Amino acid sequence: MNFKKTIVALSLLGLGSLAYAADETLDVGVIATISGAGAGWGQAIQHGVELAAKEVNEAGGLEVDGKKYKINVITYDDKYQAGEAVTAVNRLVHQDKVKFIIGPVGSAAAVAIKPVTEKNEVIMSTMAFSEKILNENSPFTFRANVTTVEFAQPQIDWIVKKYGIKKIGSFFPNDETGLQVSKDVEKAYGNAGVELVGKEFYERDRVDFVPMLTRLMGLDVDAIELNINAPSSAGLIVKQARDLGFEGLFIRTGGPSTQEIVNVAGEDASEGILVHTLIDPDLATTQAYMQKHKENYTQAMNGFSPSFYDTARMIFEAIKQANTVDDTKAVVAKLENIKDFDGAAGKISWTGQDTYGINHQISTPFYVAEVVDGQEVIRARCTVETGCQDG
Amino acid sequence: MFSETIVIQAIVNGIVIGSLYLLMAIGFTVVFGLMRIVNFSHAEFYMLGAFICFVGIAYFRLPFILVVLATFLIALAFGSLVELSILKRMRGDELSGMIATIGIGMILQSVALIIFGPDPLAVPSIAKGIIRIGGAVLPKARIYAGVFSIGVLVTMYFFFHHTRHGRALRAVVQDREAAQIQGINVSVYYPIGFGLGVGLASLAGALMAPIFSVYPTVGFGPMVKSFIVVIVGGLGSIPGAAIAAMILGISESLSGTFLKSSYAEMFLFLFVIGLLVLRPQGLLGEKS
Repeated sequence: MNFKKTIVALSLLGLGSLAYAADETLDVGVIATISGAGAGWGQAIQHGVELAAKEVNEAGGLEVDGKKYKINVITYDDKYQAGEAVTAVNRLVHQDKVKFIIGPVGSAAAVAIKPVTEKNEVIMSTMAFSEKILNENSPFTFRANVTTVEFAQPQIDWIVKKYGIKKIGSFFPNDETGLQVSKDVEKAYGNAGVELVGKEFYERDRVDFVPMLTRLMGLDVDAIELNINAPSSAGLIVKQARDLGFEGLFIRTGGPSTQEIVNVAGEDASEGILVHTLIDPDLATTQAYMQKHKENYTQAMNGFSPSFYDTARMIFEAIKQANTVDDTKAVVAKLENIKDFDGAAGKISWTGQDTYGINHQISTPFYVAEVVDGQEVIRARCTVETGCQDG
Repeated sequence: MFSETIVIQAIVNGIVIGSLYLLMAIGFTVVFGLMRIVNFSHAEFYMLGAFICFVGIAYFRLPFILVVLATFLIALAFGSLVELSILKRMRGDELSGMIATIGIGMILQSVALIIFGPDPLAVPSIAKGIIRIGGAVLPKARIYAGVFSIGVLVTMYFFFHHTRHGRALRAVVQDREAAQIQGINVSVYYPIGFGLGVGLASLAGALMAPIFSVYPTVGFGPMVKSFIVVIVGGLGSIPGAAIAAMILGISESLSGTFLKSSYAEMFLFLFVIGLLVLRPQGLLGEKS
């Protein structure tokens, strides 16, 4: 009898301590493109942050100042529109009172919401590629992925040398992201001795690329650069170009979206595309993350996802080290000092002082892969410092 | 590539796109002429057709022609049912009818979002390879879609001009009261007309699906273009819509080929505004 009582008492104690395990809630905001053309990237952010939060919650919560915090992820869809992102950031900052925001995807959205996050000392870790995002006057803004500024030149140098490209054409979305990337890509191809003979800007909702492809193919380009075009747009460009009989190379010096391109264009049309990727499927930590993603989501994992899982974990680590969920200046100081973090995508540190005047740019390994039978096969391994080597 | 071959290529592409806009626009005109409502769910019926095509080809591997026919019949039946169950009660009350179509559109879009998700889905191409006309290179898939839609338009022409029901429907569209005086049972043609109108939108969606991708908001762009076609052609005028659709399709393709994309859109809307300033009733519309 006494034994039974002891068991009951111990169980109650256990339940009590479990309840104590996460007695507070820490809200983390996600602004991402959940619907529309950039949905694949938005889901990469959303899934990455959700999985990082789930991991913390399953371990009993985030321990800060003697309390255990359960992470609650609040997600708003910006539909790849700056206006929607502003609505979302106002809700997150003023209504939900969050101090940490991950996202958004697009540069126009990030540029639009940055004044709100900076003014309210809210940490934002975005995907946006624009150079305007990071500078010494934006101490609360970070970028969770490498951009064309970091990876375009090494990747393009390797591809041009390997495939002997002379003339190239490219499509760019007609917005802040597209303008930024067009400058980076043109400069990088110029440095590699390749002429960007055709530059086509289009509105993001465009689905018929045949007129522009006709003009581009009339310039006898060896390759078409897909750069930062949204996954579905890139897929349509590949599909329609192959329908028109284009036999040249496709190169994607932009955000990972191989699965989405293959889904839209089909395996045959996608064969041989050279893509930038952040995923090395041979890396054990990446494999573990891919498995975790597969267990939790039905959608295919976008290549950006590990970066946002890592950035969320780095922010949680910085909160823990700073021992505060309110003083974001203290959290920024700790976050900036994280070096060689064991991320799903490999060893992660901060860089960017020389380029942006502030070390708030993530530094991760990246790769050039060839699409074979709908899958990425790594052809070169790269870092910002060493460039790309055959792999 | 010579510029004249590029021009041929652009014109043929423009005719294909224009004929698809025309399918949408005729459906829109029939519904407006019949019920005096702007059917805001037209985009979602286009989307419905695209998804039926996706399911039929990607899942059931059915032949394209069969899928297109089935799409039209399903949309015709569903549209008639929507008219009988919802819009029938709003006949004569145009404002309520229009608001109801907004609701119908939102419901259809949400259902598609729940079932298929937001990501674009691909329908395998109906034909691979190219057709060469002179130096011009034209994708077979587009040519087939264009031929199908022109075939449907010709069939519609015969239906409207050479069949009893078609003539009756046209009479109701042109002047409801005069049609009634001639002994036409107008109320029978409401569900048929709405079903036919949205059936044409679905047909356009099914024909477009293998060329582009399929997602819940896919109908918005074509709906805007069909609005333009209807307004430029003259509200209620089917021949006007036909001329406007071809002008829009060809000018869009030519300007997209020879001008930068943003300029092309700007010139297109400048043209539309200019035409409406000079001829507010549209190309073949009547002054009210």
